Amino acid sequence: MTSNVKISVRQFTVIVMFYTIGTTILVIPSSLAADADQDAWIAAILGWVLGLLIVGFYIRLGRLFPNMTLIEYNEKVFGKWLGKKISLFFIFFSFICAATVLYYLGNFMTTQVMPETPIESFTILFAGIVVMGLRLGLEVVARTAEILFPWFLLLFIVSTLFLIPEIEIQNIQPVFEFGIKPIMNGALTFASTASLPLVILLLVFPAFVNHPKDAGKAYFIGTLLGGLFVIIITFLSISILGADLSERNMYPSYALAKKIDVGNFIQRVEILIAGIWFMTIFFKTTIYSFSFLTGLAQIFGFRDYRPFALPYGMILVVYSLVVYPDVVYMMDFDSTIWIPYALTIGLLLPLIILSVGSLRKKIKK
Amino acid sequence: MARKLFVFISCLLLLFPLTGCWNRRELNELGISVGIGIDKAEKGYRVSVQVVNPGEVTAGKTSGNRTPITLYEATGDTIFEAIRKITTISPRVIYLAHLRVLVIGESLAREGIEKPLDHFSRDHEVRTDFFIVIAKGSTAKDVLKVLTPIEKIPANKLYLSLETSQKVWAPTATVTLDELMTDIISEGKSPVLSAVKVTGGVEGQSQKNVEKIDPSGRLKYTGLAVFREDKLIGWLNEKESKGYSYIRDKVRNTVGTLVCPEGGKIGVEVTRSKTQVTGKMNNGKPQINIEIRMEENIGEVECQIDLTKRKTIEDLEKSAEQKVAAIMLGTIHKVQKSFKVDIFGFGEEIHRVDPTAWKTLKQNWDEQFTHLDINVKADVQIRRIGTVSNSFHKKEEE
Repeated sequence: MTSNVKISVRQFTVIVMFYTIGTTILVIPSSLAADADQDAWIAAILGWVLGLLIVGFYIRLGRLFPNMTLIEYNEKVFGKWLGKKISLFFIFFSFICAATVLYYLGNFMTTQVMPETPIESFTILFAGIVVMGLRLGLEVVARTAEILFPWFLLLFIVSTLFLIPEIEIQNIQPVFEFGIKPIMNGALTFASTASLPLVILLLVFPAFVNHPKDAGKAYFIGTLLGGLFVIIITFLSISILGADLSERNMYPSYALAKKIDVGNFIQRVEILIAGIWFMTIFFKTTIYSFSFLTGLAQIFGFRDYRPFALPYGMILVVYSLVVYPDVVYMMDFDSTIWIPYALTIGLLLPLIILSVGSLRKKIKK
Repeated sequence: MARKLFVFISCLLLLFPLTGCWNRRELNELGISVGIGIDKAEKGYRVSVQVVNPGEVTAGKTSGNRTPITLYEATGDTIFEAIRKITTISPRVIYLAHLRVLVIGESLAREGIEKPLDHFSRDHEVRTDFFIVIAKGSTAKDVLKVLTPIEKIPANKLYLSLETSQKVWAPTATVTLDELMTDIISEGKSPVLSAVKVTGGVEGQSQKNVEKIDPSGRLKYTGLAVFREDKLIGWLNEKESKGYSYIRDKVRNTVGTLVCPEGGKIGVEVTRSKTQVTGKMNNGKPQINIEIRMEENIGEVECQIDLTKRKTIEDLEKSAEQKVAAIMLGTIHKVQKSFKVDIFGFGEEIHRVDPTAWKTLKQNWDEQFTHLDINVKADVQIRRIGTVSNSFHKKEEE
């Protein structure tokens, strides 16, 4: 069933980029500042390098079994029963992530933009678009990403340029005040929010990309670019708002956008800037959902995932409402449970798959 | 065909749920508040809100016999509660996004401003672009009650006056909410806010005030309010406030007076000013070096002095250098002696250059600050002397 869906290498790059930026852009300056104070931007760079290493590892894993998705080679590596069970872990991760990302969006809207509107109205609308994307298929989603990319770039560059005059370099001094340990913590936070979820893309890569050979490069470049955008936002947040306010703000990037004021004329544009993350969150949710559905279809041997898109969307909305009972639970979950969870799914399991997989290949030879 | 028609009709029907926003709030449902005052109440806070009276500020349609703004007040245990309570007297919900000034009454400021400010940082409607000022010698409510000429909305007048005086006169400080919060939290810089004073008592409160050529009630900025953490502890007068602005590199343009060698005065305009504060650790002791570079123009001469000679200008530059250094040192000494808090951010500077030394210094930084080694170096260039060379005073004498 997988062979007839193909997206181009460039489309894959853009999708990886949007996926990396995702919700990360909204929350990362806050959690990085909590870890590393004014050195948050260094932590971001370090986390980015860490993320690139992780992606390098994913690419190796993907190359081991070209033309196959993670679910398919899980079965090959561990046999039918165990393989399917391990695959369940991955798609469950996808589902949880999709729900949390949807919650992030709803929570952002109800906290910052329209506090009186019930969160359901945002999540239902948003899930509606996601379901639409799923039914139309990966190719359409990929093309959408390609079309939206210049708009994303425009919004990002314009907002960055408008923010440059507000930078106060004293805010990032003194550098390395608390040594390397908090920076390492921050780097780990960065990698776990921005890079480890990239494991889910192994359900798309390289099987769904038309030139599997170049797909590895695309995977890498997408992460590289996405990380760069997140680093820029982190740097701006620290140098403009200061470490303390960045940490205290629930959504520092939005607070940052509120700061834009060019000649008392271009101001109050934050909701336009918020368009950046509406786009990225859409792609992140869609890719999570796509991997969940295709994974599900492959595990249980359905021919097509599309009939499940709508019911999935309904369950997703309901689950997104209960996945975090309140905001404090969300913050607690993200800072304590999330990192080990992401490490298990994004590092431990792939490592096991890779080692067992290459061992089997050697034995065969 | 039937399918196409079906799609078309359902598209049309789908337009209906898209017409409105859930949260829509029309302009005529909002009480646009431009100024908020917070005072101490017996229990909790008394919040006074200056709300625009829309009919009276629209161009060409004013009836003229109503005030352009109105003041609502309510008391509550929390700021949030008090603001909501206002709906019992106001027909509209208070809308905070266009807030220009937040006035804090002196008595509340002496008890601490940290707690009442939390709501403003938490509420989603409030932006951080308004100024915070302290009502000197009065309640915040009294400040918001004064009607002002030229600017119909007094809160706008407060905002613009502060902005303009900072731009061309210097002894005021435009402080926004995020700057204030950063200062309160910071261990190496204590906050400072501009002080506003009401003159003329109750006469400023009626429409009659703005019917006069010389209104009796006015709002005037007078220097700065000094805080320890979040509590008001004292005031700086105009000259000391100017010194503060010089040290913090906030001076863009101001006017000063120099004394002629043989008596008499010269008025100079500072056209450019750049201050650099650098800290370093000298034998385990913190040291602060302040370097200021200024460019001035002569704007007024009231004495006999030969401005055509290089030597005169050089002498004037020297005396200007001494003057500005004296202003800055005067402010520092006053603050060191009377307030014992670091409002200049010297601690932050030390923190930046030597984070390890700062770890021990910060424990009693305010104490360290009172006998801090501070050097001031000034460099003044007088560039222009106006449209005439020598003053006509000289001719009269001969």
